[in-house]
Amino acid sequence: MNKRTAVLIVAMLAIGAGAVQAQSTARSVWEGIFSPEQAARGEAQYVQRCAACHGATLGGTGEAPGLTGGEFVSHYDQLTVADLFDRVRTTMPQNDPGTLSRDQYADVVAFLLKSNGFPAGAAPLDRRSEVLATIGIQAQKPQASEQSGN
Amino acid sequence: MMTTRRAALALTLPLLLAAITPAMAQLNGTAVVRKTATNTVNWPTYNADLAGSRYLPLDQINGDNFKNLEIAWRFKTDMFGSRPEYKLEGTPLAVDGIIYATAGTRRAVVALNAVTGELLWSFSLHEGKRSAESPRALSGRGLAYWTDGTRRRILYTTIGYRLVSLDADTGQPDTAFGENGIVDLKKDWDQEIADLETGEAGVHSAPAVSGNTIIIGAAFREGFTPVNHNNTKGYVRAFDVRTGKRLWTFHTIPKPGEFGYDTWLNHSADETGNAGVWTQVSIDPELNLAYLNVESPTSDFFGGQRPGPGLFGNSIVAVDLTTGKRKWHYQLIHHEIWDLDNSSAPLLMDVTIAGKPRKVVGVPSKQGFFYVFDRVTGKPAFPIVETRVTQGAVPGEWYSPTQPIPTKGLTYGRNGYVEADLIDFTPELRAKALEVVKRYKLGGVYTPPILSTRDSLGVINNWAQGGTNWPGGSFDPETGIAYVYSCGTCISSTGLQPGPKGMTNLNYVVGVDGQPVSMIKGPGEGAGADSPAPPPAAGGGGAGAPRLAVDGLPLMKPPYGSINAIDVNKGQLKWQIAHGETPDFVRNNPALKGITIPRTGQSTYQIGTLVTKTLVVAGENQVTTTPDRPRGAMLRAYDKQTGKELGAVFMPGPQSGSPMTYSVNGKQYIVVATSGGTATGEYVAYALSGKN
Repeated sequence: MNKRTAVLIVAMLAIGAGAVQAQSTARSVWEGIFSPEQAARGEAQYVQRCAACHGATLGGTGEAPGLTGGEFVSHYDQLTVADLFDRVRTTMPQNDPGTLSRDQYADVVAFLLKSNGFPAGAAPLDRRSEVLATIGIQAQKPQASEQSGN
Repeated sequence: MMTTRRAALALTLPLLLAAITPAMAQLNGTAVVRKTATNTVNWPTYNADLAGSRYLPLDQINGDNFKNLEIAWRFKTDMFGSRPEYKLEGTPLAVDGIIYATAGTRRAVVALNAVTGELLWSFSLHEGKRSAESPRALSGRGLAYWTDGTRRRILYTTIGYRLVSLDADTGQPDTAFGENGIVDLKKDWDQEIADLETGEAGVHSAPAVSGNTIIIGAAFREGFTPVNHNNTKGYVRAFDVRTGKRLWTFHTIPKPGEFGYDTWLNHSADETGNAGVWTQVSIDPELNLAYLNVESPTSDFFGGQRPGPGLFGNSIVAVDLTTGKRKWHYQLIHHEIWDLDNSSAPLLMDVTIAGKPRKVVGVPSKQGFFYVFDRVTGKPAFPIVETRVTQGAVPGEWYSPTQPIPTKGLTYGRNGYVEADLIDFTPELRAKALEVVKRYKLGGVYTPPILSTRDSLGVINNWAQGGTNWPGGSFDPETGIAYVYSCGTCISSTGLQPGPKGMTNLNYVVGVDGQPVSMIKGPGEGAGADSPAPPPAAGGGGAGAPRLAVDGLPLMKPPYGSINAIDVNKGQLKWQIAHGETPDFVRNNPALKGITIPRTGQSTYQIGTLVTKTLVVAGENQVTTTPDRPRGAMLRAYDKQTGKELGAVFMPGPQSGSPMTYSVNGKQYIVVATSGGTATGEYVAYALSGKN
């Protein structure tokens, strides 16, 4: 194995480690991490800026993928809310990314989470990526026993 | 264009200078790494060859050691554009130890050291509004290589639909070609493009080059909601590879007096657009024939304004390479209204049918039929029967009474969905599925679109995505077996709504009852490096249309995606396997607890295959997490005789472009483009450690 290959393999292991880390994040997307009001604001924003491509019912149209359902949630399984937030913030809307404010992006992400069946809570979703990086996304709702101690 | 030249120089010069050391001051660009010994094996065209095989008989990487592959190098494409790309579909070329590939939202061309992945040169055009308006943005699928033994050229089509010829050694435009290395493809097209910036045309595919002839197709906006029935016509052109001079034009929609014009009733050929060739063109140099696989005319789902069968819509057409004159054609779908447009590169295969050697062309399709024709005469090599099909009732539509259907053995993918296809893991799930489809229409192949109403929102089928889409198939020239990926559940519901005035002049476009009709965008449309902000969508609403899912599970039963081996000697399926790990949301679904489900494959249409001496290689397009490995996607190798999986390696991101292979100094590499989800575009090269 040459040095370069070794470095790349280490880099790949680091990617794997990132996924493992995500599992041990401090909070979970199942714990009510956004507010209903925020999700409602996000829906209005979605209609204005996202629905043209992703569809009024988030089902996707043409090449723009659906934003609800198993395939969407599976893709973010074991990542963090920051991964989802920054993917949206830095690349969407696709033809003019970065043109919403951080708060507006947080609102849209709250709407996406709500649309995928994650529960709302009392406080709104944080607008800081570094905080969102501590909230893990788990596609399947943890069993009650696993949630104890939260 | 001044900006363009500066940009090119700005990008290229420092790289050239960096490559020059005092000891090799006479060398620049790719010359420092070029390898021409016989143990360097090239992949010189998008599909490995002009026959479309995606095959090289390399065997250093085989079933015994595939699992030991390691990443040799990675080339991230983020910096080649104003934003990263999440849809890298390219297949690189490998020529003499150098990789040539398209990259980034700018669709740059890069030359890399094929052993290390180091950048040798790059080139890109900054086209401003012209690329911002392009219907086909992003990095595209690839490029073409040409040499006369002395000169070496790289040819590609820009986002703004310009054909560029670059010196393969330096990345500089060939000033003898076109105007300073560029041919404006929106000019000299036998039709007037009034506005060169906004005129609708682009293409993702790579140019096809044979001898001195370059063939270029065209692609347009996605056809769900076209603006104009009289869209740009997708005429196919050939150009001289040295000068860029146009050699011929084939009218995919005939002009008055030309063959096929009378297949358009009411002279509708005059007022209809599209019918481009957006997939790869294949060429048989010996027969001096080029095979053009033509898409549908405008629009994809409503053809009332183009009554009649409409040649050469959805036809495979063999044209003389020198003159562009039609030698033969076969229309795969008459008067196409399903968005099952011809999607795949024709596969030029030499096989033995009933004891006789035959030169055939095989055509994979969105509709899961594998069509086989004698490629000299165009006669079907296996029976294709004109069969009566269901007639629809959309006002003003013209329906073909029959469609050509190949024999059962050559149906490799699903092309219609009936109750028997619904999910049946448990009786409860099946009952729920039956409930969901109550508000939709099911039906076999060529069940026509309907007007969307509250009670019947649309017809469920694998329109648009297919089946087999742009990645097409591959084949083994030694055995006459074709390998074609097919999506089993790339379904959607399609219903029609009146086209709103001011948005379109089509009588009907795709829409859902109770929801406002909105423009549906295509791959990368308005998403390139120069694109401005989109207008807001009209209204929210929605009619509460039921999702095509049951308890979060796909509405249809597996396989969600499969690789199919077709023995073209016999006209029969040889084997069929589910491709792709069972998705997490299926494997972990509470409704399936306690039920053992064999690997389902994955629902995607992005999968292309590579064939080597012993293997069929393809990656996954979805990310999964399994007990034995972390979250990721796998590149898999199958025994090409049996379909048995022989090995798999981890990919940093999902496969989004089709894999290819080559060798340099006796060492074999496999390169695959990955991107999607949170992964930005990257070419990833694999090789075995320790060899050479």
